[in-house]
Amino acid sequence: MITVAAAFVGTVAFALLFGVPRRFYPGCGFIGAAGWLLYLLLEGAGLSAAEATFFAALAVALLSRFAAVWQKCPATVFLIAGIFPLVPGAGIYWTSYYLVTGALADARATGFSAVKTAVAIVLGIILVFELPGKVFHPKIRQV
Amino acid sequence: MSADRETEREQQVLEIAMEAGHILLENGAEISRVEETMERITRHFGVDSGSFFVLSNGIFTTGGSVSGRFARVEHIPVHGAQMDRVVAVNQLSRETEEGRLTLEEVAERLEAIRRSPGKRGSMQVLASAVGSAAFCVLFGGSPWDAAAAFIAGFVLYLYVLKLSAPHLSKLVGSMGGGALVSLVCLLLRAAGIGQDLSHMIIGSIIPLVPGVAFVNGIRDIADGDYISGAVRMLDAMLVFFGVAIGVGAVLTLGQRLGGGVWL
Repeated sequence: MITVAAAFVGTVAFALLFGVPRRFYPGCGFIGAAGWLLYLLLEGAGLSAAEATFFAALAVALLSRFAAVWQKCPATVFLIAGIFPLVPGAGIYWTSYYLVTGALADARATGFSAVKTAVAIVLGIILVFELPGKVFHPKIRQV
Repeated sequence: MSADRETEREQQVLEIAMEAGHILLENGAEISRVEETMERITRHFGVDSGSFFVLSNGIFTTGGSVSGRFARVEHIPVHGAQMDRVVAVNQLSRETEEGRLTLEEVAERLEAIRRSPGKRGSMQVLASAVGSAAFCVLFGGSPWDAAAAFIAGFVLYLYVLKLSAPHLSKLVGSMGGGALVSLVCLLLRAAGIGQDLSHMIIGSIIPLVPGVAFVNGIRDIADGDYISGAVRMLDAMLVFFGVAIGVGAVLTLGQRLGGGVWL
C-alpha cells in the first residue's frame, strides 16, 4: 500500500517537472496511483509483468481521456505523468547490471522483458486513443 | 485597396496560426493537435487557403490568394516540454472558436503565453529529488535507500539544468546522467547511506526517462503521423540506451576498482 502512495507522490513530482499546471496535480497523482495499484493487483493475481502493464496502461489512458474531457485540457497532460510508474525503469538498470557482471542470459531475459513491457504500454495507449471522442463526451458531437 | 487589406489580414491570421503551432510543438504537443489548432484558428478567422505540414521539429505553412502569397518554414527544435503552455494554447483555441476573441486579442494572448515564465529551476530540482525518492520506494527501496535516491535525484537535476540540457547532445547528456547517478549512489552507499544499490539507482534514473517523447511518439504513430512518431520514438530509445550505457559504465568501473564488493 505504501508503494501506491509513493506512486501518487512520484507522479505529482513528475507532473511538476513537465510543467503541468498546478490545478491538475491531484488528477495526475490519482491516475498514476490507480495505474500502479491495478498493476500490483493483476500481477498478484498471477498475470505476467507485460500483461499487467498492458491493462494498467489501458486504465491510465482511459482515465486520462476522461479527466481531459472533464477538465477541458489535452489528455497528454495526465497521460505523460500517469504512465511513469509503469515505465520499465528497473528493466534498464537490471539489463545493464547483468551485462556488466557478465550474466548474459539474465541480461537478455530482463532486456527482453523491458521491451515487452514497453510494447504493452504502447498497445494500451494506442487502443484507448482509437476510441472515438463521443465515448468520452456524449453531449457534444465531435466535428 | 480592399484587396490589399484582405491580403494583409490573411497574412496576419496565418502568422498567428503559425505562432500558436510553434508554441504547441515546442512544448511537447502531438502533431495532430498542432495541425488541428492551426486549422481551427485560420478557419475561424475566415481564411481557408492555409495548408500546414507539421513534423516533429518544423512547421511548413503556405496560404494566401493570387494577390499575396504566404509561405513559411519554421524550424522548431524541441526543448524541455512545458505542459502549461500546451494547456494555455488549447484553451485559447477553444475560446477563439467560441467567437469570444478578436484577432488582436489572440495575438496578445499568444505573446503572453510565450513569455510566461517556466517552472523555477529550484522547484524542478526539488521535484526530481522527491520523484526519485518516491520511485525508489515504489520499486521496493527502504527509507534509507529513498534518502540516497533523494540526494542523487537532486544532484542529477542540477546537472541536467546546468550542463546537460544547455551544452550536451541528448545521447551524451543521458549517458552522463546515468553515470552521474550511479556514481553518486555508489559513493553514498560507501558513506553508509542506503543499502540496496539497485533500488537507489533505479529510483534516481527515473527523472531521465524520456516520458514526453515516448508518449507523444506513441500517440503520433497511433494518429498515422509515422515520420514524427518514429523520430520521437527513436529519440526516446536513444535516451533509454544512453542511460543504460552510463549506468553500466560506472558499475563496471566500480567492479574493477572494488572487486565484487561494490556490486
